[in-house]
Amino acid sequence: MKNWLKVIGFAIIVGSIGLTYAWFFIYNKPHDDIEKAKPDYIISATECYQHYVAGKNNELENYTGTVLQIVGVPTSIEKNDSLAVIVFAFDSGMYGDEGIRCTMLPSHNEKANNISLSEKVTIKGYCSGYNDTDVILEQCSIINNNN
Amino acid sequence: MKNTLLTIVTILAFLFQSNAQQFITKSGNISFYSDGPLEKIEAHNNQVNSALNTESGDMVFKVLMKSFVFEKALMQEHFNENYVESDKFPSSTFKGKVVNVKEIDFTKNGTYDVAIEGKLTIHGITEDVKEKGTFEVSKEGIHGMAKFDIAIADYNISIPGAVTGKIAEEIEISVNVMLKPYKK
Repeated sequence: MKNWLKVIGFAIIVGSIGLTYAWFFIYNKPHDDIEKAKPDYIISATECYQHYVAGKNNELENYTGTVLQIVGVPTSIEKNDSLAVIVFAFDSGMYGDEGIRCTMLPSHNEKANNISLSEKVTIKGYCSGYNDTDVILEQCSIINNNN
Repeated sequence: MKNTLLTIVTILAFLFQSNAQQFITKSGNISFYSDGPLEKIEAHNNQVNSALNTESGDMVFKVLMKSFVFEKALMQEHFNENYVESDKFPSSTFKGKVVNVKEIDFTKNGTYDVAIEGKLTIHGITEDVKEKGTFEVSKEGIHGMAKFDIAIADYNISIPGAVTGKIAEEIEISVNVMLKPYKK
């Protein structure tokens, strides 16, 4: 076989491997599994809320876009369509209670609906920021109930 | 005694009326869709704050950009990092009015056409918008819906040269909120 044919064949194989890798692991890479992710910060729900309200969220200590694990006593559980939202309220304003809203993963809805509002609970989720009324945690999972 | 009773009833009636004027949600849905030559892009956000004052017609929306969920993780990364720069501009807002609010009978179930005007801020750029939508009034509350297009260039969102012409320059925004009476 001529050398140039070998070179072209090799290039096609390498190119195909590269494209396959890019297709599966870059273009179609899966979303981060927040339930299995290691938390970037472990704090109390009060600390988390105060951090944002006091304007302490900055480049040095930025909770937005990180995986947070918070612990606190929830004040209510909301059911919106198929979503369960655990709420830690610390204040009130034009939209009602203000605090931390944790939207649960569907697999944790049942656990969320069964937690007691008088007991501490530890929740892990992705923090998408503070909207001037609430800190928003998404894809949340219940780590454990701390009686 | 009669006067005291009358005063209490009047105060209660006033409080009830005041509360009934404000409708809110913290779990509204805003989604957007674009169908460009290169690919279709769709994202949903179920964490939308919205409030409506049925007396004045004032209406506000606030949404965190990092709460938009895309089918593909790579698209979500590009959206937050390259297009809307979520770290720099973490939220988008709408502040405006339902201009025909007096034509809506919020005490009577039914579907009403609404005209909304106001200022939409995305990516730090504020533009005047005039859109149409509907309110479905029921005993559960007010179900607000609207669908409209925006040009991403109006909000200084630039498309990288490599994909210019392959991604749609206009996106369709759908708003779907179930507003419930605000009880203090």
